Amino acid sequence: MSKGKIIKSEMLGATQKLKNEMGRHYLAIEQAYREGKPVAWATSGTPVELLYAMDVQPSLPENSATISAAQKYSQNFIEVAEDAGYSYDLCSYFKTNMGVTLTETTDLGKGGIRKPTFMLSSDVICDTHVDWFQVQAERYKVPHFTIDVPHVVSNTTNKQKNYYKKYVIEQLWKFLDFMADILGHEMDMEKAKEVAKNSYELSMIWQDIYKLRKNIPSPVSTKDTFGGLFPLFTMPGLKSPIKLYKRMYKEAKQRVDNGVGALQEENFRLMLSGIPFWYNLKFFNILEQWGAIIVYEPYTYSFSKFMNPDITKEMIMNKPVESMAELMLSFWYIYDLQTRIKRFEETVKEYSIDGVLLHNNMSCRPNSCGLYDLKKHLMEDFDIPCLIIDADMNDPRKLNDTQVTNKIESFIELLRERKKK
Amino acid sequence: MTKIAIVDSGVDTPEEILMAADITPVRFLGDPSLNITKANEHVPPNHCIWARNLLERALNGLDADIKGLITTHGCDCTNREFDIWLECVDLDFMYFLNAPLKRDKAAIKFFVNDMKELINQIESKFNVKITPDKITEAIKLTNKIRNLLKEISEYRSKMILKGSEFHELVKKVQQEDKKQMLIVLESKLEELKTKKPFPEKMKRILLTGSVIDDTEFIKNLETLGLQVVIDDLCIGTRYFWDSIEEKADPIKALSKYHLTKPIYSTKIPSLQRFDNLKEFAEKYEVDGVLNVAQKFCEPILYDHPHISKEFKALNMPYLFVEIEYSRESFKQLATRFEAFAEIIGGK
Repeated sequence: MSKGKIIKSEMLGATQKLKNEMGRHYLAIEQAYREGKPVAWATSGTPVELLYAMDVQPSLPENSATISAAQKYSQNFIEVAEDAGYSYDLCSYFKTNMGVTLTETTDLGKGGIRKPTFMLSSDVICDTHVDWFQVQAERYKVPHFTIDVPHVVSNTTNKQKNYYKKYVIEQLWKFLDFMADILGHEMDMEKAKEVAKNSYELSMIWQDIYKLRKNIPSPVSTKDTFGGLFPLFTMPGLKSPIKLYKRMYKEAKQRVDNGVGALQEENFRLMLSGIPFWYNLKFFNILEQWGAIIVYEPYTYSFSKFMNPDITKEMIMNKPVESMAELMLSFWYIYDLQTRIKRFEETVKEYSIDGVLLHNNMSCRPNSCGLYDLKKHLMEDFDIPCLIIDADMNDPRKLNDTQVTNKIESFIELLRERKKK
Repeated sequence: MTKIAIVDSGVDTPEEILMAADITPVRFLGDPSLNITKANEHVPPNHCIWARNLLERALNGLDADIKGLITTHGCDCTNREFDIWLECVDLDFMYFLNAPLKRDKAAIKFFVNDMKELINQIESKFNVKITPDKITEAIKLTNKIRNLLKEISEYRSKMILKGSEFHELVKKVQQEDKKQMLIVLESKLEELKTKKPFPEKMKRILLTGSVIDDTEFIKNLETLGLQVVIDDLCIGTRYFWDSIEEKADPIKALSKYHLTKPIYSTKIPSLQRFDNLKEFAEKYEVDGVLNVAQKFCEPILYDHPHISKEFKALNMPYLFVEIEYSRESFKQLATRFEAFAEIIGGK
C-alpha cells in the first residue's frame, strides 16, 4: 500500500461564513423566544417555507442534534434517553433530542433546544420523525401536525401519484388552518410567494455549486457541503443564505476557471451516500492522504428540493402550496430503489466518479434499506466499485474507526488497481 | 383457487376486495424455524427480524397457487422493503397499498382512492369484475366471522379456551378460505358452550406488542402459568373487534373501518394505543400486561416508554421484552416470565 503525502483539502473562504449564517438562525430562534413569538419544531423534509410564510420561526431538532454530535455531547444525551427506556436500536437523532430535553439543555452550543409553540412532522423521510414528535408533543403538551406523504415505490404509476399529490395538498391547506388557529392570522399569499421564490433561488444556487463539482479537479469538498447544506433546511425562504451561497459559487467558479481543486492532488473521485458521522467529520479527511475526494453526496444535494423538472419557477410563484406537495413526493432522498439505481448510475457518469461509499446507518433503517441491492446493481450492471460502511450518524459508539479505515484503505487500493488497467 | 399473499405489519388490508374477486387472501407470516441467509443479502441484519424472515420465506419459494402479493403500508421496514421484494420475488402482481398513517377525513378519502386503484389493477391483471355488491357480500361474511371471533375470544377470559388455541384460530381465519372458516368457527363456538373452565390456576395476561405470529410463543407462556385472556394484536382483537358498516358504500365503509378501529403503533396518534390497553386491562381484570417487541421493531420501541409510564401510574404490572423470533430464545425468556408471574402473584 502506498500512501501519498498528506495534503489537506481547502475549504472555500465563503464557507467559513457559514458559522455566522447559522449563528443568525439560532439568534433568531432565541430572539423569538425572548419576544414571545411563535416557534415551531419541524422535521427535515417538511415545507419549512410555510412556517416562514406565516411568520413562525422554525427550529429543527435534527440540526441541533448534529451540533450536539459535532461538539461531542451526543453520546451523553443518547445514553440519557436510553436510561429513560428508549432502545439502543432507535434513531440517534431522536435520542440526542430526547436526552437534550430530559436534561433541559438549552445551551445552543451543546445542541440545546426549547419548548416550541407547536410541532410539524412528516413521514416523508421516515416514520421516526412522526413518532419522535408525537412523543415530544405529548411531553411538552403542545399541538402537533403531521403531513402524511404516501410512500412512492418502484411500480407506483403516474395515476397513483396524482391522487397522492391531492392528498398531500389537502393536508398542507389543513396545516395552514392549523397554524391560523394557533396564530390568529391567515397566510399572506404575497409573502408565501416571496418565501417560495427565495427558497427556489437558494436551491438553484446550491445545484449550480454542485454542477461545478463535475469539474476535474473538483473545486468543492465535503468540508463545504456537509455544513453548507444546513441553510437549505433551516432557512429556505430567507434572503441572507442566498448571499452566502452566491459567494460560495463565485469562489468555486474561480477555482474552476483557474484549474484549482479543493484537493491539490486529486487521484480518486468518490460519492458518499448517506448521512455523515457528525461526531467525527474529520474522519473523512483520511481520504485525502490517498488523494481521494468526495464530489457528490445525494444527502446534501437532495435538500435543494427544487429538482423536479415539472416544478417550474412560475408554478412555485403561482401555486406555492401545490408545488410544495409535488416536491415532497419527488424528494431525491426518498427515491424508490429503481429510480435510485438509475440516478446513481447517471451521477457516476456525470461526475466522473471512481467509486461509491454507502453508509449503512445503524439507526436510520429507512436510509439503509435497499443499500445492498443498490450496491449489487451498481457493481454488477454498471461495473461501479462500491463499499458499504457500517456506522451511525450521531452515535459515536457505532463507528469502529479502525475497521472502517481499513476497509476504505483496501477500497482505495482496488480503485488504484482499476486505474492502472 | 387463486390466492394473493398479504404482507402487513398491521392489519389494514381490505381482504373483502380480494374475496369479491373470488381470490383467497392469505396473510403471509413468518417461520421462526427458518435460518435467515438469503434475506440478509438484501436487508442489513439490524433491520426488523420478522420482516427479514418473511423475505426469506418468499425467497425460498411461494406456494404455486399464490399469484400475487399486496404489501400494506405499515412500518418503515415493510414499506421500504417492498422495492426489494419487487426486485427479487417472482410474482406478476405486486401492489403497495398506501394505508394512510393518519385517520382523519382526508385520510379516509385517500384510502378510498387507493383501494379503487387496487381494484382496477386486480380486475385488469386477473380478468375479473369486482362489483360493489360482491364487496358488500364479502363484508357481510367477514362481519359474521368477526362477531364469532369476538364471542369466542371471551372464552379466553372465562378460562375455557387457551390463548394459544384462540391465536391459532385467528391465524387460520387470516390464511384460509373464509366460507370454510365460518363453519369452523360456528362449530367451535358450539363446542365451547359445553366446556367447563380448565382446572389449572393461571395468571391473567393482556398481550400487546409487534406482530406475534408464532403460536408456540403463547404456548410457552402457558407452560409458565400465564394465560392470555385478551390482546390488542393484529392476530387478535384488532382483526375482529369492530364491524364494517354493511349499508354504506362498501369501499368507503372499508376505509372508515380500517381508520377507526383500535389504533396500532404503526399509525398516528399511536400513543392512543394505551387507551385501548387500559380499557382492556380493566375490563378483563388482568393481573399484568406483557408488551413483546420483535427485535428492531421500531414502532413498538417508540411507544414502550409511554405505555410503561402510564401502567406504572396505574400500579399495573407491566413487562416489556424484545424477542429474537426464534424458539431457541424461549428458555432464556422463561426466566423473565417466571419472575413476572411471581410479581403478579404478589399483587
